Amino acid sequence: MSVAAHARWRRRALLAPAGLLLAAAFVGPLLLVASFSVLEPGLYGGVEWHWYPYNFGRVLGAPLGDVEEFDAAYATTLARSVKLALLVTLVSVAVCYPAAWWVSRLPPRRRALALFVVTLPFFANLIVRVYAWMLILRPTGVLNLVLAALGAGDAATDLMYTEAAVVIGLVYVLLPFMFLPLYASIEKLDPALLAASRDLGATPAQTFVRVALPLTLPGIVGGAAIVFIPALGNFVVPSLLGGSKVMLAGNLIEQQFLAARNWPFGAALAMLLLAFVLVVMLAAAWRRGTRGAVA
Amino acid sequence: MKRRTVVTVAAFAAAACLLPIAGAQAEDKLALYNWGDYINPEILTRFTKETGIKVTLDTYASNEEMLAKIQAGATGYDIVFPSVHMHDIMAKLGLLARTDANTLPGFANVDPAFLRAKSDPKGEWCVPYAWGTVGIVWNRKLVPEGIRSWKAFFDYAAKHPKKVAMLDDMRETLGVGLIVNGKSVNSRNPADIKLAQATVLAHKPNLAAFTYEVIPLVQSGDLAAAHYFVGAMMYVLEKPDQLGYAIPAEGATSYQEDICVLKSAPNKAAALKFIQFFLRPEVSVLNTIQQKNGSVNTKALALLPPAMRDNENINPPAAVRARLQIFEDLGPDLKLYDRAWTKVKTN
Repeated sequence: MSVAAHARWRRRALLAPAGLLLAAAFVGPLLLVASFSVLEPGLYGGVEWHWYPYNFGRVLGAPLGDVEEFDAAYATTLARSVKLALLVTLVSVAVCYPAAWWVSRLPPRRRALALFVVTLPFFANLIVRVYAWMLILRPTGVLNLVLAALGAGDAATDLMYTEAAVVIGLVYVLLPFMFLPLYASIEKLDPALLAASRDLGATPAQTFVRVALPLTLPGIVGGAAIVFIPALGNFVVPSLLGGSKVMLAGNLIEQQFLAARNWPFGAALAMLLLAFVLVVMLAAAWRRGTRGAVA
Repeated sequence: MKRRTVVTVAAFAAAACLLPIAGAQAEDKLALYNWGDYINPEILTRFTKETGIKVTLDTYASNEEMLAKIQAGATGYDIVFPSVHMHDIMAKLGLLARTDANTLPGFANVDPAFLRAKSDPKGEWCVPYAWGTVGIVWNRKLVPEGIRSWKAFFDYAAKHPKKVAMLDDMRETLGVGLIVNGKSVNSRNPADIKLAQATVLAHKPNLAAFTYEVIPLVQSGDLAAAHYFVGAMMYVLEKPDQLGYAIPAEGATSYQEDICVLKSAPNKAAALKFIQFFLRPEVSVLNTIQQKNGSVNTKALALLPPAMRDNENINPPAAVRARLQIFEDLGPDLKLYDRAWTKVKTN
């Protein structure tokens, strides 16, 4: 065996575990969901093995008479979820960028401590943490108690069961996913470049926009991707903090798989959401000319 | 049974791919698959002590979740606790084992009025387990006069917007819409369901939320009242001066679960022993006392502490029972409800 062939085989052997895991835990189930989305719903869950494009028809507008009605509400729900997920992503960047910058400039020991603190929420269950937000946001909750204690009782708000509460909850849950990639790229930013920019007469704003921002863009894009996608599908936060009064994509899909016992329609909704995410990601990758960097 | 929470749904989502692997077959084992917090653990301890049969308990949060798991081929479970309409569905799908439970000693303790599954009018397959109502729970400080009808509930909501909540449950909440319009909660008439949809939508701006997680909020006064199941009596009896519960005057839904043995059960003999054990009044009553719900066992009723036996919410008199409806399987017409619920949620 030549040296090159040997290296090739070694590479394959090393990639095999990850490849097999992805095939078994990701590609397989994904193909299952994709095939369910074009099958007829079984009466009590499950599927009938007939070609059945009307699951998509209900959303996109080619229904099957009375059996599968078109309803614009589905597309509206998906669009609302996209809008909310974008808002969550923007807020997360706005909150994390300055924080990541500050942490990256701390002395090493305190930096390690700060990073540990950022990952601390992962030590507690998601549901418990979202429940805690219920206790904070409810009218008699911690937030209003603190406001009253500060003598700002008039500012007391009822955020519980609002869209704002959903955004707060999602930002909170997803914050570490934005922070870590941002931190990684800000930390790599060479302070000498910023100094050079200033020496050459750039204002701080110019330095930020023309030097710091472009160099940390990979962190922003990476963080945005892993915040946007889970924000799009989360159904726990809208349910607990939004009081299910505003339906989001995750809740709609959950309803189809459980209460409505319509797996194919749930699968079709999931595929549409996935297709949308894929298009956005590919477009982003295309623009940056670095196809692999985003994934 | 109404205890489906977001918490358990999420846990289901996480655990969905971890189907149990059939355990070794042995006479001394029994695997129960029940709703979360729906059996007094004391019963399991006593059963093991008496028979030497080791019991394992897995839980689910909705009928659909349980059905999906059994359909997906989960084996290793012996006994499930489906609601009456799910009992019918599982019978139709051939998932249940015939037990001839009505020949067991102790079957005569069961009130025949609770043999409600259409597929099993004689109790040849399953045995009634427990039942309860879905009504209104309120905070006595905020609503001293109480809320004993849907009219009072919605009137209060109109005067105090965002202080009441309804269940995040397609059939229960549309069911209230049907009840206040004098329709059956099992209507298959599209006009009835549209009417229910319009009713719920008309009140939606005054509702704080559609949710199951209401008890702490009603206790703290963040909510004044909520649509909730009789399980609320656990909290009402603990603090009777703080909370109240009532079956609404216009009528309400009731639920009932049955004990069924699965066709795929590995330990059928042990399962039958358990059913027989549960038919004993002194065992059955342990469950009722802990769960604060309705008993289907006439002899167990006699053993209840008077405070529970005479409580009209837990053990309603005939006149109140006449106002209760129970969900039936709607087959393909379930989609009418799905569409109406989507409209309620998205408008």
